Amino acid sequence: MEKISQSVVKKDHATKVSGRSVYVADYPSEGVLCGKMLHAKVARAKVLSVEVPELPEGYFYVDASDVPGDNNVNIVLDDTPVYCRETVEYIGEPIAMLCGPDEKVVEQLRDACKVEYEELEPVIDLRTATEAFFDYRFGHGDVDKAFAEADKVYDEEFETGYQEQAYLETQGMMAEPEEGGRMFVHGSVQCAYYVHGAVMRALGCGPTGVHILQDVTGGGFGGKEAFPSILGCQVAVAAHKCQKPVRCVFDRREDMEYTSKRHPSLCRYKVAVKDGRVTAMDIDVIFNAGAYSTLSAVVLQRGIIAAPGIYNVPNLRVHGSAMKTNTSPCGAYRGFGAPQTFFAVEMMMDHIARDLGVDSLAFKEAHLVKQGDPTSTCGKYHFPVPIPAMIDEVDRACDYRKKRALYAKPQTGRYRRGIGMSMYFHGAGFTGSGERDLIKAVAKLRKYKDGTVEILASNGEIGQGVRTTFPKIVANELNLPLDKVYYDHPDTARVPDSGPTVASRSLMVVGELLRRAAIKLREQWVDGEEQEVEEHFKEPDFMIPFYIDKFEGDAYPTYAWAVNAIEVEIDTYTGVGKILGAYGSFDVGTPIDYNVVMGQMEGGFLQGIGYASIEKMDYDAKGRIRNNSFSDYLIPTTKDVPNMQCMLHVEKYPDGPYGAKGAGELPLVGAPGAYVEAVEQALGGVTLNHAPFTAEDTLAVITKEAI
Amino acid sequence: MVNGYVAASLKEALEIRAAHDVVPYAGGTDLMVENRKGVEYLFLSKVPELKQIAVDDEYVRIGAAVTFTEALASADVPRLMKEAASRIAAPAIRNAGTFGGNLGNGSAKADSVLIEFVADAKLRLVSKKGERIVDVDKFYLGRKKLDLADDELIAEILLPKQGLEQYSYEKVGGRNALAISRVSFAGVFAAEGGRITNVAAAFGAVADTVLRYKDIEATLLGKTVDEAKALKEDYLKAYADRMVLTRGRVSAEYRKTVCMNLLRDFLTKFGI
Repeated sequence: MEKISQSVVKKDHATKVSGRSVYVADYPSEGVLCGKMLHAKVARAKVLSVEVPELPEGYFYVDASDVPGDNNVNIVLDDTPVYCRETVEYIGEPIAMLCGPDEKVVEQLRDACKVEYEELEPVIDLRTATEAFFDYRFGHGDVDKAFAEADKVYDEEFETGYQEQAYLETQGMMAEPEEGGRMFVHGSVQCAYYVHGAVMRALGCGPTGVHILQDVTGGGFGGKEAFPSILGCQVAVAAHKCQKPVRCVFDRREDMEYTSKRHPSLCRYKVAVKDGRVTAMDIDVIFNAGAYSTLSAVVLQRGIIAAPGIYNVPNLRVHGSAMKTNTSPCGAYRGFGAPQTFFAVEMMMDHIARDLGVDSLAFKEAHLVKQGDPTSTCGKYHFPVPIPAMIDEVDRACDYRKKRALYAKPQTGRYRRGIGMSMYFHGAGFTGSGERDLIKAVAKLRKYKDGTVEILASNGEIGQGVRTTFPKIVANELNLPLDKVYYDHPDTARVPDSGPTVASRSLMVVGELLRRAAIKLREQWVDGEEQEVEEHFKEPDFMIPFYIDKFEGDAYPTYAWAVNAIEVEIDTYTGVGKILGAYGSFDVGTPIDYNVVMGQMEGGFLQGIGYASIEKMDYDAKGRIRNNSFSDYLIPTTKDVPNMQCMLHVEKYPDGPYGAKGAGELPLVGAPGAYVEAVEQALGGVTLNHAPFTAEDTLAVITKEAI
Repeated sequence: MVNGYVAASLKEALEIRAAHDVVPYAGGTDLMVENRKGVEYLFLSKVPELKQIAVDDEYVRIGAAVTFTEALASADVPRLMKEAASRIAAPAIRNAGTFGGNLGNGSAKADSVLIEFVADAKLRLVSKKGERIVDVDKFYLGRKKLDLADDELIAEILLPKQGLEQYSYEKVGGRNALAISRVSFAGVFAAEGGRITNVAAAFGAVADTVLRYKDIEATLLGKTVDEAKALKEDYLKAYADRMVLTRGRVSAEYRKTVCMNLLRDFLTKFGI
C-alpha cells in the first residue's frame, strides 16, 4: 500500500465518538428563538387565509410577506419559494414559521393556526403527470434502421422507488443577525456557498451581507445539498424579522416526510438485437421531480448519461424528463440519478441474455466498453476500463460463475438460492463542463508563522473524511506531520469557493488543487513568515468539450468503476430474502486513506442493498407519505448483511491527487441490479422489473407463478 | 421532566398504584418512545418480587420485571420462549425490555406474548386487595385493551413447565434486527400413545390481538397423525376462512399467505 493510503485516525474522530462535537441543535437555547414550520396539509390548494392565534410578546409569525428580498430560493432554477406563494404544491410545503423562546408554546401556536384552503386537483401519480420541468434528448447512430433490421426487439419497463437518506442528524439551520446588519447562517449543510447565494437573494443583500458556516454535520448523502438552502433562507428571513437568532431543527417525521429523497423512476427500454448483439437502444427515462424543480435537472442529466450502462450501443436514442407532481420535491441522494438507470439497464441486459439462452455475465462482457471507446454522449473513455479484471476479482471472492450455474438448475424446498451481478461506473465530478463553467473552484493554503498550515476551502466534512484526507495530501507535499495541517468547517466569510460537497468531487478535484497549492507553498516556503497560496481549477487538456444542449462530449473526465455480486436465499414461505453474501470490487483510484475509503464502500454498498430490498417508501392517493419514522421505513442493519466483502481495484487517474478518483457515490449504485437479478434466479428465472423488491413482492410472485 | 415514583418492594408499588394515577414502567423501551405528556410513572425495575424466575410443580414463573436478557440466561425458561425473546429488537432493548412491559403495551406484535398465547400461559395479577390468576387470552382483549384494573399490576407470567418441547417458531420482521414483527407464528405439538394431545397454533402481528382458534385445533385432538393428515386440507381451510387479517406495514394478503404457509409447515413438521 502506498504511504498516502495508509490509514490515520480521522481528525474529527475523538470529538465525534466522545460526543463532544457541537451540532446545530446543541448550541445553548438562551436568547435563541425556536422556529417551527407550519406545513401544508393538502397536496395542492390555494391558501385563502391563515388565521393566526394571538401571539404572546416575543413570538412571531413569519411568512412570504416578511421576505425582504426575493421569495425564490436559488437552486438550479428559482421556482422553489422560501415560504409558499398563493398556492401550496405538496403536503408539507412550508406556509409559515412560528418563532419564539419556548418550544412548546411555539408548537401550540403553530398547531392553533387555521389555514383555509381552496383545494385544487393535484397530480399524484407519476404516470398521469404531464408537466415536465426538464426534457432532454440525445443519441447517435441510426436507431430506426437498427430496429428495422433487428432479429428481435425487446421492450420493457422498469420502476424504482423513493429512497430516504436517513442521515443521523435531521435537517437543521440557525440564523443570527450580527452587528452591522450582516446575517450569520449556520447549520447542517453540504454546500456552504449554495446557502450563501440563496440567502443573499432572499435577504436582498450583497455577498458581504451574509456568511454561512457549516456546523458539524451528522451525515448528508446528498440530502443536505439543496435543502439547507431552503431552510437557510427560511431561518434567515425569520431572524431578519425577529432581529434575534432563530433556529429550526426538523424532527424525524418532518424530515422523512417533507425533505428531499431519491427520485422515483419509470424507465422504458426498447432494445434491438441482431446476431446476438445489442445494436440499438431507445430509452425513455422519467423521474418524479415532485412539486418544485430543485436539483432535478442535474439528477436527470446524470441518470440519462448512464442509461445505456457500460456497454457499447452503436445506435442510441435517449429521452429523459423530470415530471412535476404534487409531492415532496426530490433531490440529491448518493448516486444522483444513476442508480435508477443502471438498475434498468442491468436488468434489461439480463433479461435479453436469458431470452437468447446465454449467460447474462457473458452477454454483458461481450458488450463492455473499453479504453478509447466512445461514451453515450460521444465523448471518450480516455483511461483503461478495468471491469474484466474486477469481474474476476469478484468471481474469485464468491465463486460467482460456479454458483450462477449451480443455482440455475431447478430448485425445490422452502429455501432457494440465487446470485446476481451488476457492473457500472460513477462519473467523477460535476456532469459536463460544470467544473469549468459553473464552479471554477478556488482553494487556498495559509501558512502561519509557527509553521502550521490551514486549508481554506468550502467542502464540508459530512462523514466522508475530507477534514482528514485534505490535510493528508497537504502534509504529504510539505513533508509536515499531519497535526501541523488542519482543515476547519468552512465559513464563507473566510474561505474561497472551492465548490459544493457533491458529485464525489471533493477529493478528486479540490484535493488535486490542494496538492498543487502545497507544491507551490513548498517552493516558496520561508520559515517564520505568514504565507498564502491559491490554486484555481483547470480543466484537463484531454477533455472533449461538453455541450449540454446536445449532450455531446466528455460528460466526465474519468470514471470510478465497480462490480457487485449479491447472493440471496429466498424463504418461499415468507418471501424474505436473506443475503448470504455481498461482494464488491471498487475502483476509486488511489485510496487517500484506506479506512476512510473502505468505510465509504461498505456503508454505501449497504445503503444500496437497502434501496434494493427493504427501503420502501410510497405516498397514498392523497400524496401523503405514511411511513415517516424509523420503525416504518427500515434501513438495513449490520445483521442484515453479515457477510460483506469490499475490495479495492486501483486504476489511477493522472489528474487526481496521487491517482485518486471520486469515491463517495460509487458503492451505492449497483446493488439493486445485483440483488434483483439474484432474486430472479432464486425464483427459477422469473422476470422482475422493479426495486426495491421486498419480501411482499417476492411472495406475490411466488403465489402468482405457483413457485 | 419525568415525574414518578420508585418502588422498592411490591407492597410499596401496590400502595402507590392504588393511591395514584400512574403508568407502570419497567424497562421503558416502549414508554420512552411514546413519551406521553403529563403522566406519572411507577418505576418497577427495582422491585425484587417482580425480578424473579421461579419454578413450581406446574409452571415456570417469570416475574413481570424480568428482562429478556435475564430470561435468555436462565436454565428454567423454555426453549420456545427463549427463541422468541432472542429475536426481540437488539441487545440494548433486550437488556431493558421486560415480560410485563411486553404484555402491558397491549400490542399483538409483542413477541413474548405470542408464546404465552400458544402455551396457554396464565398471568398473576396483584393489587392491594389481593390477587387473581387469568388466562392470557382473557387478559389480552384487543389493541391496547387489557383486563387490568387501575390498582393492579402484572406480577408474574405462569408458563407451563412441560409440553412446549415440540414447536415451530417463526418471526417475519422487516429486517434481521430491530424489527417489529410483521407476521409471527408459534405452534406447539404433543402426542401421547399415538394420539394428538396438543396442536396449538398462534398468530401474532396480524390482527388486533394474537389469534388462536381452539375450536379448530380441537378437530385434530385425539386423532392419530395419519387421521389428522386426512383432515389436513379441511383443517387449513377452516383457518383460511376464519382468519380475517388487518393490513399494517404489509398487506393483509401477504400476512394471510405467510400465516397459511407457516401453519402448513408446522403440521408437516410433525408428520401431519
